[in-house]
Amino acid sequence: MYNTRVRGILIKGNKSYDQVTREILTPIYAPSAPTWWKIAAFVATVALLLGVWAIYVTISTGIGTWGLNNNVAWGWAIINFVWWIGIGHAGTAFSIFLLIVRQKWRTSINRAAEAMTIFAVMAAGLFPLIHMGRIWDGFFIFPYWNTRGPLWDNFNSPLFWDVTAISTYLTASFLFWYMGMIPDFAIIREKAASKLRRKIYGVLSFGWLGNAKGWLRFETAALLMGGMAAPLVVSVHSIVSMDFAVAVIPGWHTTIFPPYFVIGAIFSGFGMVLTLTIIMRKLYKFNDFITDGHLDAVTRILTFISLIMGTAYMTELFVAWYSGSEYEMFTFMKNRVTGDYTFAYWSMITCNALIPQLFWFKKIRKNITAVFIISIFINIGMWFERYVIVVTSLSKDFLPSGWATYQPTFIEIGIYIGTLGLFLLGVLLFFRYVPMIAISEVKHVLKETTTDEAFTEDNEH
Amino acid sequence: MNRTNIVGIYDDHDVVLNAIDKIQGNGFKVKDVFSPFPIHDVWEKLDLHTRIPFATFLYGASGTAMTFAFLYWSSVVNYPLKFGGKPLNTLSFIIILFVLTILVGTVLTFITYLWREKMWPGKKVELPDPGTTDDKFAILIEKSADLSDSEIEAINSLLKETGALEVKESNVSYHEK
Repeated sequence: MYNTRVRGILIKGNKSYDQVTREILTPIYAPSAPTWWKIAAFVATVALLLGVWAIYVTISTGIGTWGLNNNVAWGWAIINFVWWIGIGHAGTAFSIFLLIVRQKWRTSINRAAEAMTIFAVMAAGLFPLIHMGRIWDGFFIFPYWNTRGPLWDNFNSPLFWDVTAISTYLTASFLFWYMGMIPDFAIIREKAASKLRRKIYGVLSFGWLGNAKGWLRFETAALLMGGMAAPLVVSVHSIVSMDFAVAVIPGWHTTIFPPYFVIGAIFSGFGMVLTLTIIMRKLYKFNDFITDGHLDAVTRILTFISLIMGTAYMTELFVAWYSGSEYEMFTFMKNRVTGDYTFAYWSMITCNALIPQLFWFKKIRKNITAVFIISIFINIGMWFERYVIVVTSLSKDFLPSGWATYQPTFIEIGIYIGTLGLFLLGVLLFFRYVPMIAISEVKHVLKETTTDEAFTEDNEH
Repeated sequence: MNRTNIVGIYDDHDVVLNAIDKIQGNGFKVKDVFSPFPIHDVWEKLDLHTRIPFATFLYGASGTAMTFAFLYWSSVVNYPLKFGGKPLNTLSFIIILFVLTILVGTVLTFITYLWREKMWPGKKVELPDPGTTDDKFAILIEKSADLSDSEIEAINSLLKETGALEVKESNVSYHEK
């Protein structure tokens, strides 16, 4: 079935099945959460409450509390929306793409990556909701029978495509994630000492048996659902990119956007997965499961993607020149490479196309602290990329009399901090109550990936 | 329905596969196998199949068809509007069709899976051996009324010979198929 080999041993320490179960369940069985968890949860809750307040002000007073104006009509909200969706794509890419190409090394990381996707897409989904202004009329966006014609949605608009794509992405990711967790919840149910724990995980495990036909249906359904969700990785972010690509302003109206956005999304998502799994393995001592080999694999992928990002940036500049259009030339040469937004542009280039190239060096790939820092830079760089795309093109488009600048207000910044808090809190709750590593999947690949006969270190190249 | 089963507990999946071969080779029917992770060869040996892929295909196809029907009716028949001066706006339906096919297919596949497996939140279940979710494997052979005592003896000793850590009887009921 799975016959691809990866560099090194996948699960170290020659563990037995029971040992795998016990080690992964240790954080859930701990009588109370560690101190660092409580502090982080407190910080996350404070951030989340700030976001809730900012959203309250937005809805009660209006979008005027944001820094948007007639010309720069999209700002931090859409930047953060695209940023979060991009981060969310990694979970699906990691888990489902690697499932389809039969890569065994996914088993240590897929659960955490999928969890990250769920919380990132939840954070992203807030923005289309709250940016509406009159959110109580929000049901207008759905095609329901009405007495105004009936007036249907504009099915040609990427804004509507976004609604269907994001809802589908959230639903499909959640169902796939939950499905994979059912056998693991059953483990906790059977091992539970307290009645309450047994009851809760009993409810969550849906009566899982673990018999042959059950596993057959499970594997089949998971592969089918995964197979259907895999194209979403490419299509959802292409649809999001169309929000910009179908507009006419220079810097937006370009056919490179769909692949550019998708690659960028996988880039930032993998960066966030690195950030999370390095923290996870350090704090929960999962080094035997999330091995250096796993992190090495991800950093190599990031090097490659960073090259693609660099190529995309150069392509944009080349096409702007080659087009002969003075507006394109202005947007790129005078308004990004030089000009008012030069700091953001060069931060983007440095963080996305230059810094990850350090991963060519084995010494840096092996240094986990360096990997962690670079993964943070990747996400900062990707935020700046969305800022550059959205704000520079809107601020100075065709007619100079219409030029305007944009500054986010405290409310917009507060909403962003709120989404960071939501994500962090979600991840922390995940750490505490859900097995962070897919126990049954790790056991499935345990026998063939633990011993030295299965793997030789020569695979390292 | 309460039936008594003879259960052999093992701790290695290769041993289990050999055991199944031996038991089936002696003419006895293996009713079920419990394991902490899926073992593909077991499905071949027990001749198990599933029609979920066929169902998923139907769901996806009908999702596409229904979505297209609605989009076409609303945009071409009921309230046609020209967007961007284009004569034919139906081409952009592809994107919504693509996405909603996935949504309909995924949601209905999940529901079909739960329905066929008779799973729902809070369903109470009793396992023949709770260790099968952790690190044990169990082979279940039904102790039906038409088995003679010597056959039951033979089954018990077969299980022990093939490496069972424990042989016991269990009458927990669950749906098998």
